[in-house]
Amino acid sequence: MFSRSQAKAFFLIGTALCSFVFLGLTVDTFRQMPQLTNAHNLSPEVIKGKHLWDVNNCMGCHTLLGEGGYYAPELTKVYERRGPAFIKAMLTDPESMYPGRRKMQAYDLTEEEMDAFVAFFKWVGEMDLQGFPPKPQLLPVAVPAAGQGGIAETMAQPKVFNQMCVACHSMNGQGGMVGPALDNIGSKMTKAELIAWITDPKAVKPETTMPKLPLSEADVIELAAYLTLLKSPTSDPSIDQQEAK
Amino acid sequence: MNYRTQRIAYLFFATSLLLLSLQIVYGFIMAFAHSGYDVLHDIIPFHVARATHTNLLVMWLLSGFMGSAYFLIPEETQSEIYSEKLAFVQWLAYVLVGVTAIVGFHFHWWEGRKFLEIPRPLDYLVVIDVLLFVYNIGMTIWYGKKRTTTAVVLYAGLVSAALLYLPGMIPTDHQTADSYWRWWVVHLWVEGVWELILGGLLAFLLLKLTGMDREVVEKWLYVIVGLTFMSGILGTGHHYYFIGTPSYWLWIGGLFSALEPLAFLGMAVYAVVLAKKGGRRHPNQNALLWTVGCAIMSFIGAGFLGFAHTLPMVNRYTHGTLVTAMHGHLAFWGAYAMIVFGIISYAMPKLTGRKVYESPTAAFAFWSSNIGMVAMTAAFAVAGVTQVYLERKVGMDFLAVQEEVEVHFYGVILAALLFTSGIAAFIWDFIRYGLPKQERVEDVYGTDFIGA
Repeated sequence: MFSRSQAKAFFLIGTALCSFVFLGLTVDTFRQMPQLTNAHNLSPEVIKGKHLWDVNNCMGCHTLLGEGGYYAPELTKVYERRGPAFIKAMLTDPESMYPGRRKMQAYDLTEEEMDAFVAFFKWVGEMDLQGFPPKPQLLPVAVPAAGQGGIAETMAQPKVFNQMCVACHSMNGQGGMVGPALDNIGSKMTKAELIAWITDPKAVKPETTMPKLPLSEADVIELAAYLTLLKSPTSDPSIDQQEAK
Repeated sequence: MNYRTQRIAYLFFATSLLLLSLQIVYGFIMAFAHSGYDVLHDIIPFHVARATHTNLLVMWLLSGFMGSAYFLIPEETQSEIYSEKLAFVQWLAYVLVGVTAIVGFHFHWWEGRKFLEIPRPLDYLVVIDVLLFVYNIGMTIWYGKKRTTTAVVLYAGLVSAALLYLPGMIPTDHQTADSYWRWWVVHLWVEGVWELILGGLLAFLLLKLTGMDREVVEKWLYVIVGLTFMSGILGTGHHYYFIGTPSYWLWIGGLFSALEPLAFLGMAVYAVVLAKKGGRRHPNQNALLWTVGCAIMSFIGAGFLGFAHTLPMVNRYTHGTLVTAMHGHLAFWGAYAMIVFGIISYAMPKLTGRKVYESPTAAFAFWSSNIGMVAMTAAFAVAGVTQVYLERKVGMDFLAVQEEVEVHFYGVILAALLFTSGIAAFIWDFIRYGLPKQERVEDVYGTDFIGA
């Protein structure tokens, strides 16, 4: 069929060709990388954030650009998804936003270090990542009555709703499962009740696990106004049951 | 054993099995954390356990490769190791660096770069140590009586593995560049030059165990490592889909990494056909079981399960989820752990003059570790696919999804218990073999199989 020396030539020539192409593509990748990753925004603060990301081995649990530990949330778009206030609240006290759930290490970070993390996440989130992470697309199709896109695409909502509330609560079936669904919250609580509740949940109900969110007074009022609008035509009994828990 | 200095391999094999045992312990810590029992959080948090688990894997496999080389090279070159003293020093240094790294992780002395967590000062020591090893093996081949293709392919794999450690040390402040070079090490190791090592070890075992003609075995060895490199080098592109690199990686990485299973399929067919055609029945059928098993399981774990999520349209959803853990476990087990086990199973009777391979524990070790690992992979697969669906398709919150899949980690733990029982049996047999003989002894497999 073929001899050992022919097989050897196949191996050597094939390897050499592929290595050559690979090296060429590597050169080109580094040529294009500054533009694809907005390298002009790579400020000393971002670099400091990258350094903190490394020395604390954040990748040991989280993923960034989809690379890491699969134990804690993917953080590529965390700046857009949660915003600086949420990120800094988590870095100050890991129990602040997800109390009693999967634990994160507590870090003794300075204000500047937290700002560096935020700057780093902002820079990473703005890279051209060829469509990663994918936008969830199933539920908006499955629930046409909702008449809205996915949470991330709904413009009428205050920004903080997407960043904070859906971490634990769901709307249209999207979001967290810890707190009750918010689809019908407007039929349950008045604006004044909502403002009091969001401002300090434990003052209203001491045994609640809902954390006090890092929100300004204006944010709270805007959020409460929005929440009072959430009234589903058929009221959902599961909300009452979950609230009773 | 045929050459006195082969006994040094024993130290590396023993180190391998010790580090593997420790790796399993850290695996359990992580599986319990994933199933909601993060009880060691304050002492060994998840990122410590993970860095330890993965680095122990690399360390015990490298130790196994080095031991395999010290055992195999004298037989292939028909000469003693160039310097047994150097081999001992190199072993001792390797263990010291390894232990320092593992202990250091618990004090957060690390780099925080997946798989390459070992801190920079220790990186230099690793490089020096591997250079000593490569020098020692190289001199043995240089002064050897014979220079076989099997030995040269194995050596090329070892030298390239040492060289490819260097790109991981290129300093950069850029997350994308950092990832880019990191995969030069990680991918070009496991889907590149380590396969040369695997191919060399596999060829050696098949030569010895089946009695096939060297010309045929080594001819196909070239074809298989050729396929490996032609798919694997550009297949690195499957790590460059979504990290801020140009879009041509989507189709280059997709196309070439989709061809990677071919090399593994070639290896599996090669092992099965040679084992059937060989004609001679080697007394150590357990070693043959590990050898053929390795070729088949590496095709399933590395080839088939890798292919399952390597295409960019699939990987966009599975990238960064437990699906990767599913593929990773069976791939490393099938391709690299099993070949080390194959070599140990073949070498120990020769080193010690005992025949433990005939005992029922030897068969038990093979079957329960393999069934356990396949079951573990299946549990990871269910958790991973569920995660992809709920998080990436439906848009549920990450932690909510993790709570949904906690139950599958009970499955991981149960499967891991079965796997661990197999490993325990293997280690028990290893202990029963005792220490290697200090002088040349008559070959335990009989004179028929000495020169094979």
